Amino acid sequence: MLRTLTRRSPRAAVLVALGAAVIAFSFVSLMLGSNLIGPSAVVTGLFDPSRDVGSVVWGSRVPRTVLGLLVGFCLGVAGAVMQGQTRNPLADPGLFGVSAGASFAVVIGVYVLGTSSVLTTLWLALAGATVASVVVFGVAAMGRGLSSPVPLAIAGTAVSALLVALTSFLVLSDETTLSAYRIWVVGSLSGRSLSGVDAALLFAAAGTVFAAANIRSLNTLALGTELASGLGESLLRARIVGLAAITLLTAAAVAISGPIGFVGLTAPHIARRLVGGDHHWLLPASGLVGACVLLAADVLGRMIGGNAEVSVGVVLTVMGGIVFISIVRRGKMATL
Amino acid sequence: MNLSRALRRSALILAPVIALAALSGCASAQTADAGSGSSGAAASGEWTYTDETGKTVTLDHQPQNVASYADYALGLMSYGIDPVAIFGRVDVASDERFADYDLSKTAIVGNSYGEIDLEKLAETAPDLIVTGIYPTDREGTLDLTGPLYGLADTEQQTQLEKIAPVVAITVGGKGIDVINSINRLSESLGASADTVAAAKTKYDAAAADLTAAAAENPIEITQMYADADGIYVTKTADEPETELYASLGVTFTNKNPDGYYYWDIYSWENAGQVMNGDVLLVNVEGFQKDDLLAQATFASDPALVAGQIHPWNQAALDYASQAKHMTELATIIRDTKKL
Repeated sequence: MLRTLTRRSPRAAVLVALGAAVIAFSFVSLMLGSNLIGPSAVVTGLFDPSRDVGSVVWGSRVPRTVLGLLVGFCLGVAGAVMQGQTRNPLADPGLFGVSAGASFAVVIGVYVLGTSSVLTTLWLALAGATVASVVVFGVAAMGRGLSSPVPLAIAGTAVSALLVALTSFLVLSDETTLSAYRIWVVGSLSGRSLSGVDAALLFAAAGTVFAAANIRSLNTLALGTELASGLGESLLRARIVGLAAITLLTAAAVAISGPIGFVGLTAPHIARRLVGGDHHWLLPASGLVGACVLLAADVLGRMIGGNAEVSVGVVLTVMGGIVFISIVRRGKMATL
Repeated sequence: MNLSRALRRSALILAPVIALAALSGCASAQTADAGSGSSGAAASGEWTYTDETGKTVTLDHQPQNVASYADYALGLMSYGIDPVAIFGRVDVASDERFADYDLSKTAIVGNSYGEIDLEKLAETAPDLIVTGIYPTDREGTLDLTGPLYGLADTEQQTQLEKIAPVVAITVGGKGIDVINSINRLSESLGASADTVAAAKTKYDAAAADLTAAAAENPIEITQMYADADGIYVTKTADEPETELYASLGVTFTNKNPDGYYYWDIYSWENAGQVMNGDVLLVNVEGFQKDDLLAQATFASDPALVAGQIHPWNQAALDYASQAKHMTELATIIRDTKKL
């Protein structure tokens, strides 16, 4: 069955290969970490959580593997939807103010409540991302309408700029807030547990459904908005569904790990080279590539820090820049 | 490995204590006769003082208006020298360490690291500004090109120098040396030998009591700061305060006294390596009990499970502050059950 499927469609073969890569990276992520325990000990710990090594495996490796997969997948899919919606290869999932909204909410939380617990941060980030996105959509809808992605992008940039300014103001005026914020804003999977992740998972699942529902529209939007409306596409509906997908997926990712750059930007590019521009294939491929990239970067960060670790956000900023430049330099940026 | 060090450093640069190490720097290049470290008022009324960076300040009178970084202000105030202006790393008005002092006549000109209201400071017309400097390594090297502790950059330091001469307390090496440095400055600013001797008597009593407590109940103390990145444990000999307490007989968790200067970072995966303390003193600025219990790799820490965990503030290094801090620590030690 799998064989006939992959033989008939090379793109299905690519997806299967990406799925296999995700499994392989998950395995590596379980095996490697800043605590150098052997593979056999990891397996023992996996099946016997009560042992010492079990607390490392179940307390650290399993959560961050699961979270890494989730964050990478969400950012990959959100990036593909964003680039399809804006028809801009440089669009990042944070473009509509989602990351800035999450950051601002987290900072307000620390400033007002004085808490920086991982769980509270997660909820605040989800709330902030959602509110910012609704505001951006409202501002854009009040103006020139939604047929072009430009008002959305401009509203997103404006709201982001405002939120970033307010965030900076709070952070710079209060040292305690700053030290909590700087840990979150780097983007990391360290110290996270699976508790409270069900909320983020709900956001991610809903976002994935919206993204799937947006696939047909994304394909017609790729022909240009005029042609798309000519084909009977409801632009307003397409925009709302797409924005909902981007918001929910990015909010889930940002809430878990803090803002992480480059995955949402580069994963769709890699996916586009592998499966082409049809969003039926591009969206799942972007998600899988995103998951692989994030896990790989996280594992790398764990390994190069000695007894400590380097945050996945830092690794991705360094690696992502290099990867992105190489994508651009190879020319032939797959057309949208 | 260099890359990882650089990355880690950049990621951590704002953590409270690394700020001490990384942002430390020193006074302008105007060195004078380093050497004696002598100070005092000459017959003519002229006042000179040479700080540990080798910088000598000479004024035509003993400074009456002193502005100081919060930690050193505490030392001066304990001798009755009330600064006209204070700048701190945290909000000074709500800083519990000032609870015993009257700040109503003091201008608070900074509540965040490196943010000093220069105009407000200038209005208080200080004759002298006191801040600190942290060594950059275990050998006590002072970086004389960077800004002093508590200052944003060398440009700000230049601005301060225009308001009044700046002297620095060196905060490194032995704790008692730092205390003596504060004493030397205080005496030079007019604290009488009797006042200092009285403070020393209280300090000596607290120190003796701490030594007694440590002998009665020889427990291991894990002093740490924790956040989502992991656990930070200072190296006992590199932090003047823990060095002082260790010299008085207190045992601290000190897994790796060599290697990187000042502290080691244990990622949450490696938290198990620092689970042998009998009591946890957690820095007030990071994760507290509930946050630590939420970390699966540390939740089984015996001290944490036994509830032997206390929030811990960074005390100033002067006789009065330390007498108080040591009394607190002695109580904690006596209340701790050996695990």
